[in-house]
Amino acid sequence: MVIKIINMQVDKLNSCGMSIAMDNVFHLNGCGQVRSEPETLNKIPGNRAVWVGIFAELTEFALFFLVYFIAKAHYPEQFNQGPLQLNTLAGTLNTFALISSSYFVAKSLASIRLNQPEQSIKWLWRAVMCGGIYLIIKVWEYHWNVDQGIKTNTNEFYTLYYYMTFNHLLHVGWASGSLVWAIFQIKSGRYTQKNHLGLTAIACYWHMVDLAWVIIFPLLYVLR
Amino acid sequence: MFMPKLNKLNALDISWIMLMLITLANALVAETADKSLFITAVICFSIAFKGRRIIDYFMELNHANKTIQLFMRGYFYVFPVLIFLADLFSEQIASITSL
Repeated sequence: MVIKIINMQVDKLNSCGMSIAMDNVFHLNGCGQVRSEPETLNKIPGNRAVWVGIFAELTEFALFFLVYFIAKAHYPEQFNQGPLQLNTLAGTLNTFALISSSYFVAKSLASIRLNQPEQSIKWLWRAVMCGGIYLIIKVWEYHWNVDQGIKTNTNEFYTLYYYMTFNHLLHVGWASGSLVWAIFQIKSGRYTQKNHLGLTAIACYWHMVDLAWVIIFPLLYVLR
Repeated sequence: MFMPKLNKLNALDISWIMLMLITLANALVAETADKSLFITAVICFSIAFKGRRIIDYFMELNHANKTIQLFMRGYFYVFPVLIFLADLFSEQIASITSL
């Protein structure tokens, strides 16, 4: 029975195109390789609960995007001029911060799988730092906007801009908190090479926050 | 700031560098390019590409549960297309959503 299950797993892995050595080594997307199966392989990464949350959040952002399409159709001039008045540098730097933080979180996950908890913590601190940089830049951008006379009620484009970006800012805030929580879980030995599903779930949530920004940035800062 | 060694780049490092370069290109477009459907199409393509890269390599969904993979990838196919269509049919959208 056990042999049959193992064979089924190997068949599954082969069908995925994963490179498997004779001694069952699994190559990671990140650096290195592990001997036990990564918990994402053909499975739900993290846990079901976090994916319910992720899809709920993405649905919320989807509604914002639909409102954006309708508002843009009704107020084309405002949506044409609006991005030109915004601080593109702030938007770009925030995109850099979020992409880098996602990369650091992925590196952290790779490190814990390689049984390098200290390295994993270092990567997570870098991700938290990027989250902090994002929040600082956002506050600076909002102050800059006010100095330029851009307020929540200036016109429909800026109302939507503030609504979407502030909502996203809140997500970055509490997701950064979850990264700090994960750091202390690793320090206390609760997240280890063998048991780190919680970290995987937190990582997936963080990537979702990054993904939402991947759409928000061009909608508000680039497209006219 | 951390920089990966060029001779030891893996899928994660390459994804990070590509995403940063695309973001830089987007910022350049925001500052210089005029409004056009071609620019919208390019930006939509960049959104789809960035999303797919993050989903497959950072989120590691390229070998994960097929349903989650389908929904996540689908999100980043559907919305770039919707952005383009919303630009293309803005007058029709305005007329059907007018009270």
